[in-house]
Amino acid sequence: MITIYKHGQIPKSIETVKLNDVYFNKYTAQMLDNRANRVIEKIDHAELTGPYTIKSRFDGTTLNTDKLSSGCKTVLNIMYNPDKVFDIRECGDNALDMIYSLDEGKICCDYPLISFDMTRVNVYDKSKKKCREIDDYEELKEWWSGED
Amino acid sequence: MKIKPIVMQEIHTTHTSFIVDLHLDYNVTFITGDSGVGKSALYSFIEELSANDKRIRCFNYLDQKKNYKASIKNSKGKLFVIDNADILLDDKMRQYIAFDAQNQYVIIGRNPTGLMLELDEIYELSSENINGRTLLSLKKSF
Repeated sequence: MITIYKHGQIPKSIETVKLNDVYFNKYTAQMLDNRANRVIEKIDHAELTGPYTIKSRFDGTTLNTDKLSSGCKTVLNIMYNPDKVFDIRECGDNALDMIYSLDEGKICCDYPLISFDMTRVNVYDKSKKKCREIDDYEELKEWWSGED
Repeated sequence: MKIKPIVMQEIHTTHTSFIVDLHLDYNVTFITGDSGVGKSALYSFIEELSANDKRIRCFNYLDQKKNYKASIKNSKGKLFVIDNADILLDDKMRQYIAFDAQNQYVIIGRNPTGLMLELDEIYELSSENINGRTLLSLKKSF
C-alpha cells in the first residue's frame, strides 16, 4: 500500500524528488531487475532487453532506458526507492493506476491525483505525525484537497 | 480562450523513421494523455526542428533553473514548445500564456488548469505505423 503526503507536510527526514527523469537516469536505472519488466511493458509497451536497454514500442529499435516515459520512470522510482517521496504530477492515467497498485512507496502532489482503481492507501497526518488508512476515493479526494 | 494560431498552423518534420504532422487549430495547443505514448519523443523531434526554424523555442525539465519565463515574456512571434509543463508552468505563467497574443504555444503536460482552455483545445498524441514508419499526429482528447 502506498503512502501519500501533501506538499509542505513531508517530514524533513524524508527526501522528496520532483524531477523524476533526472532521479531515474542518475540512480534508479542502475537498480532495475525483473520486477521492472511488467511496469515497462504495461506503461510504455516496451521491452526491457538489457540492464540499460529497451526495445521501442514504435519501431522495435534498441533505446537506452533514459528514453522511458516520465510516468514509467516515476513508477520505477517509487518501486525501487520506497524510502523517498516522489512527485507524481507528470503521470498519465496508466502510470497512476500502477502507482496505486504498488505494495509500498511514497508519493506526493500539490493537488489530488487519484486512480479510479484505488482500493487502500495510507495518508500522512502531519499534526499527529503518523499515517492513517483511507479506502474510499471521495474521502481521499477530500483529505487531499483540504487545508490542514 | 480560442485564438487562431499566430505563428504557424502546422508543424511538419521527419526524424529517421518518425514523421511529425501536427495541425494546430488554436494559439495554445495542450497535449496530454497516457504515459509512454511518445509525447516527449515528439518534443525532441520538434526541438531538433528548432535548430533550423528560429521561430520555435523549446523548454523542458532541463531548463527548470534557466530563465525560461523571462525568455517567454521578452519574445514576440515565437512558437514555444513546453514539455514537462506540470513542473515548469506555475499559476502566473499559465495566466500569462492564456493572455499572450504575441506568441504561440504547444504545451505537453497533464494539468491544463489556468490556461483557460476549452475541452476541444485539449489533444492527445496519435501514432500510426505506415510502411514501417511512425506517423505522429494530434487528435482531440474529448
